[in-house]
Amino acid sequence: MNPGDRVRVDRAGVTNEGVLMPSSTPDHLVVKLDGGYNVGIERAEADVKVVESDVYDVDSAHSESETSEIEFDEALPTISLISTGGTIASTVDYRTGAVTAQFDAEDVLRAVPDLAGRANYRGRVVANILSENMTAGVWQDLAEVVAEEIRAGADGVVVMHGTDTMQFTASALSYMLDTPVPIVFTGSQRSADRPSSDNVMNAVSAVEAAKSDAAEVLVCMHASTDDNACALHRGTRVRKNHTSRRDAFETVGAEPVGNVDYDSGTVEFRREYAERDAVDLNVRTGLNGNVDLLKSTPGLDVDRYADMLRDADIDGLVIEGTGLGHVHTDLIPVVEELTDDGVVVAMTSQCLAGRVCDRVYDTGRDLLDAGVVEAGDTLPGTAKVKLMWALENLAHPADAMRRSLAGELQERSVPWT
Amino acid sequence: MTDYDYDDLGLVAGLEIHQQLDTATKLFCRCPTTERDPDDSTRSFTRSLHPTRSELGELDDAAVEESRVDREFEYLAYDTTCLVEEDEEPPHRLDTDAREVALQIADLLDMEPVDQAHVMRKLVIDGSNTSGFQRTALVAQDGAIETSAGPVGVEDLLLEEESAQRVEERDDGVTYSLDRLGVPLVEIGTRPDIDSPEQAREAAETIGMLLRSTGSVKRGLGTIRQDVNVSIAEGARVEIKGVQALDDIDDIVRREVGRQVGLLSIREALAARDAGVGDTQDVSEVFADTDSGVIGGALADGGSVTAVPLYGFDGLVGREIQPDRRLGTELSDHAKRNGAGGIFHTDELPAYGVTDAEVAALREAVDAGEEDAVAIVAAETETAELAIEAAADRAETAIEGVPEETRGANDDGTTRYLRPLPGAARMYPETDVPPVELDPSDVETPELLTEKVDRYHSEFDLEAGLAEQVAYGRRMRLFERAVGAGIDATFAAGLLESTLTELRRDGVAVGELADNHLLGVMRLVDDDELAKEGVEEVLSTIASDPDLTPAAAVEEAGLSGVSESDVRDAVSDVVDRNADQVESQGMGAFSALMGEAMGALRGKADGEIVSDVLREEIQKRA
Repeated sequence: MNPGDRVRVDRAGVTNEGVLMPSSTPDHLVVKLDGGYNVGIERAEADVKVVESDVYDVDSAHSESETSEIEFDEALPTISLISTGGTIASTVDYRTGAVTAQFDAEDVLRAVPDLAGRANYRGRVVANILSENMTAGVWQDLAEVVAEEIRAGADGVVVMHGTDTMQFTASALSYMLDTPVPIVFTGSQRSADRPSSDNVMNAVSAVEAAKSDAAEVLVCMHASTDDNACALHRGTRVRKNHTSRRDAFETVGAEPVGNVDYDSGTVEFRREYAERDAVDLNVRTGLNGNVDLLKSTPGLDVDRYADMLRDADIDGLVIEGTGLGHVHTDLIPVVEELTDDGVVVAMTSQCLAGRVCDRVYDTGRDLLDAGVVEAGDTLPGTAKVKLMWALENLAHPADAMRRSLAGELQERSVPWT
Repeated sequence: MTDYDYDDLGLVAGLEIHQQLDTATKLFCRCPTTERDPDDSTRSFTRSLHPTRSELGELDDAAVEESRVDREFEYLAYDTTCLVEEDEEPPHRLDTDAREVALQIADLLDMEPVDQAHVMRKLVIDGSNTSGFQRTALVAQDGAIETSAGPVGVEDLLLEEESAQRVEERDDGVTYSLDRLGVPLVEIGTRPDIDSPEQAREAAETIGMLLRSTGSVKRGLGTIRQDVNVSIAEGARVEIKGVQALDDIDDIVRREVGRQVGLLSIREALAARDAGVGDTQDVSEVFADTDSGVIGGALADGGSVTAVPLYGFDGLVGREIQPDRRLGTELSDHAKRNGAGGIFHTDELPAYGVTDAEVAALREAVDAGEEDAVAIVAAETETAELAIEAAADRAETAIEGVPEETRGANDDGTTRYLRPLPGAARMYPETDVPPVELDPSDVETPELLTEKVDRYHSEFDLEAGLAEQVAYGRRMRLFERAVGAGIDATFAAGLLESTLTELRRDGVAVGELADNHLLGVMRLVDDDELAKEGVEEVLSTIASDPDLTPAAAVEEAGLSGVSESDVRDAVSDVVDRNADQVESQGMGAFSALMGEAMGALRGKADGEIVSDVLREEIQKRA
């Protein structure tokens, strides 16, 4: 008796016939009845007969679907769709009941027929992982693949990514690549297996953005709960600010750089952007993995953290300080030890919005004396990725943390623009 | 209405009863189940939906047909709805109260609960669910109810979320209200054991009674809906959705049988004529100079007129199969599903501004003879093409007989085409909600309403009619609370049924009276702090100012503080004024003076005390 078999189950005088499905609990058989309902029946109490074996191939139900014919149209730009896994290209795993990524980029075209006619597509799969499992190694592979696609003639790149850590990967690519074409990240907050999924509008809008003139790393996600427009966020300024809403992604400290109207496909920009073909493609994927992000919170055991930091043998530390950029005073000597050892220590704020300023209070001044570098209004997560990259690729990484490399640090605080 | 020999026709019917539960919160979030006025909406948003495959990789026909029409859905949200209704947050765990009520209903229907309920997603992409599916779980199976014509099996009990309420329909979309979305709903499906219209109605009544016996179901318009599945031996299974009133069920069944019988006789006639459906084509030229408003309007807007010749159909398209509904109406329903306003056909033409000459030209254009009919659609070109194809397909089906389909109940007991029958392909697991193990062991079996009626009659001596009114009424629980608190049962029943009904008829806002108001007033009477005669006035006072406590309302109405000496003074005044009458008639004047005395006291005093005092005063003077 295996999942996919047609079975008849007798239990307490009730007979059910249907297809055996994978069960998430060992004590129950799950039977899909002819009306479509699944019911769980206690295994120990049930009398089961297999009526017919392998009525359905439960495991590969999704790969049965027909291959779509993709025609090349010379009048259209070529967009490369790169999949890393995640909800936009995911489906339900009926063994665990969880949503997992099982699609490749080709499947996305099938899943989102609205993409047809907007571009010629190339598909690549770099990874098939949930974004919480993202690694620096995948960032590097992704940057190489994006570069290959651009060299191969892609007029724009769309990266499909799980939403949990999309902002980190977008930051990483912002530093690793000088790009002559748009690189647009998109994903979905509501899984692709529901008719209401945001994947259709996000994917369509991302393709439109990838066809646009903005040669930057952007994140394209719902601008509001409505299915009418996507916002375009700069990869280094964007943050997932809600666990489940469609419009979870926000540009911190500014309005989004642009937006895409869903009906018309029109892409509009609010601010200046790097124009298409203004730079030659350049890839520098080196990353230093010995960088940590430390959040300073009340109740933190200073001694334990001090030991941890001394033993960690790190090359860089980003502190997510309180307020204007502070840590518990007792930690300052530890910071000084680190900087004396040549560790770059950069300060950001857990306020997220606003700029750190360690010249206002004594703690801040002491931190500066201890060798801390102020990262301005750089987001803590972005600062970590930046420091990982800067340590490998720049002669003076500490200085680099004070200035903008890829739009991550705004010189003027004008959040209304 | 024609009645048929249902045995002979092989009528088989089943019911699906949908009942909202009266739980404190919704099925998958902690929002209240309160109904709201769309005007009180605090925000709105718009969405679109796309069909998805089941876990077995299949697409559902009904979902695909629905998705052909490109529509935008607007949703109204309230301060009583949250992100779950907006499909912006995963569902919470299945509400335990709703689960308990469902198990209680399973018990009343003599059903076996399943060991583990799996919440499924049932694809519904007409926008009535923000997610694009309805969450539903099979909770119990294999029960039965009794009817006078024999038992009717109950196949399944589903616990599911109610859909959003449709507020407005526009050309390009629909507006829905989120207040109703997620209210717990049970769906009870009977086996097709029903073989007459009367039995269908009786079975529905019995199930309704059992549901209300739980005391945990919502009451009022739209809180219970019946779907009826009907087929006859030569016909086909048809699901009729949304029968609002129980009283309509037998009529709906009769009229559906009539429709199927009518379609079968059309099939016979078509077979005899060797009928067929020709190719659709554009006939805009025929109507280039038409005086018909509908057709001329469509052409002036750049649209087209499309036509299909129906060979051998002459006279049959216009044949009535339900009151004021013809085969042509069925074709029209299908054309409407594809965005057209409807069809015209030659059985009804010339009319609507279409001339004899145009009809002749139309017949000629599509090569249709006298035995044939022609159907046309005038609309925007793409719509006109889709709609005439849909009408042609339906005409094709008429040659085969009765199509299986889902239909909607109209107010007059007729039905209209809605969509194809949904299949199992529209169901896949709701992975956001873990399976729920059901434990029926601690479910309490409630007293049935029929048992309550008997008990009220025997225990409280309520006469049968009043006992039934109270037991089936909305204030049954309040009545039981009052009686439990020692209030006289007859008084409580009279107040909750007759008094409130009278007040409503007099235009008092009875809806403002909360259970505590009513119970408080009953207590005041029970404690002799308010005369029964003052009850109506106190209730009216509270209804116009619901913030008043019952005691304050008694003050406000000026009905407090009437001592026996006040009564004696008032009665004595009355007797004095009518001294002549008292002298001549003695006790014979009692009735007339009683009325006057009560009037003078304006219900402030108990009638029995007034009557005692009056009797004494008359005796003194006679």
